[in-house]
Amino acid sequence: MTGICYCDIVKCMNDKFFDNWTNQLRKGVLELCILNDIRNRKMYGYEIVRRLRKIDGLIISEGAIYPILSRLKRQGLVETSIQESAEGPPRKYYKLTQEGEQMVSQMNAYWQAMSGVTNSIEKG
Amino acid sequence: MATLSEGAKRGLEDYLRQARAYLRGSKSVDADEVEQNVTEHIETELEGVPEPVSRDDLNVVLKKLGSPQQWVPAEELTWWRLFILRLRSGPEDWRLAYVSLSLLVAGFLILPYAPVCVILILVSFLISRAALSEAGDPEELKAQKWLLYPSLVVVYVFVLVGLLTWPLGVLVPVADEYERYFSRLQNDLDYWFMAFSVILAGLGLWWSVLAVVFLKSRKTVRTLFRPFADGYKSSWALLLLAISLGLMILSLSLGIVYYSYFT
Repeated sequence: MTGICYCDIVKCMNDKFFDNWTNQLRKGVLELCILNDIRNRKMYGYEIVRRLRKIDGLIISEGAIYPILSRLKRQGLVETSIQESAEGPPRKYYKLTQEGEQMVSQMNAYWQAMSGVTNSIEKG
Repeated sequence: MATLSEGAKRGLEDYLRQARAYLRGSKSVDADEVEQNVTEHIETELEGVPEPVSRDDLNVVLKKLGSPQQWVPAEELTWWRLFILRLRSGPEDWRLAYVSLSLLVAGFLILPYAPVCVILILVSFLISRAALSEAGDPEELKAQKWLLYPSLVVVYVFVLVGLLTWPLGVLVPVADEYERYFSRLQNDLDYWFMAFSVILAGLGLWWSVLAVVFLKSRKTVRTLFRPFADGYKSSWALLLLAISLGLMILSLSLGIVYYSYFT
């Protein structure tokens, strides 16, 4: 009985640790994915959500993407423009600024480096 | 926008209100922009859903959007703001309003115990102001106004009456002293004439100063007496200035009448 309880507690702690870890990782990765997504062409908010939600495990809360876009805009990494839409009201399109371009290049390089490091450590 | 059932309308309003409350707490995002994006998202997701959209259909969309609490990094919200937001935007977002009114009522119930009563009323006032700030637009509070505004009214009336009448506390003893100093003020009529004249002059002078301050700092007045002074205009201060000038003229006239006929 005691053994089962102890295992449950350890499992619960491990689950929590994994949840915290994935949450922290996901935040940074989501920003990188958004920046990469609008790197080649401008997109409107819902379009970005629609594309990113296809990636398993990346988005827990679809609404979280909008505050990130707003934050990136305030930081000068993306800019917006309003364009008429044939399907409804005008849409707000997001695209990278020059500063955003530089930032996403740096982020991608860092990501590659980190990924390489973790792979090499994993392989021993 | 698709036509929503009554239940769905209420659900959407609640959700957007929650979103607004959390987003306003974050300094790094433009709350209006995010709200607009979220609204467009919901509209797009509801396209093609049989109308009127039911609460269940709306909930599917809102569930995918997630709780607005998840959108703002916890480190961006101060503990007290998080506390207020949780009180306001939990399943029962009327809690702040209930707490405010309960404290006010408790404050009045223990009126004889002055210090505690004052503290309770002040805390009730602060909670009401906090709820008002979180709502942003007072219209967002809807029926909660009935629970939040009483403490605001009590404190504002007290402050306003205090601001307007504190000189009486100085002027009445001054008038009394004046009467003793000039022994020729022999009868009651003399005394009341002089006392009334001094008090009117003092009040008129103070109110004119107050009117000029109110004229110069319109933003401060609006902030201090939110939400009742949201529509505050210069004409209010000009009216006070006109009344103060009237009082001073009346005081001067009384003085002239007194010296012309009684001395």
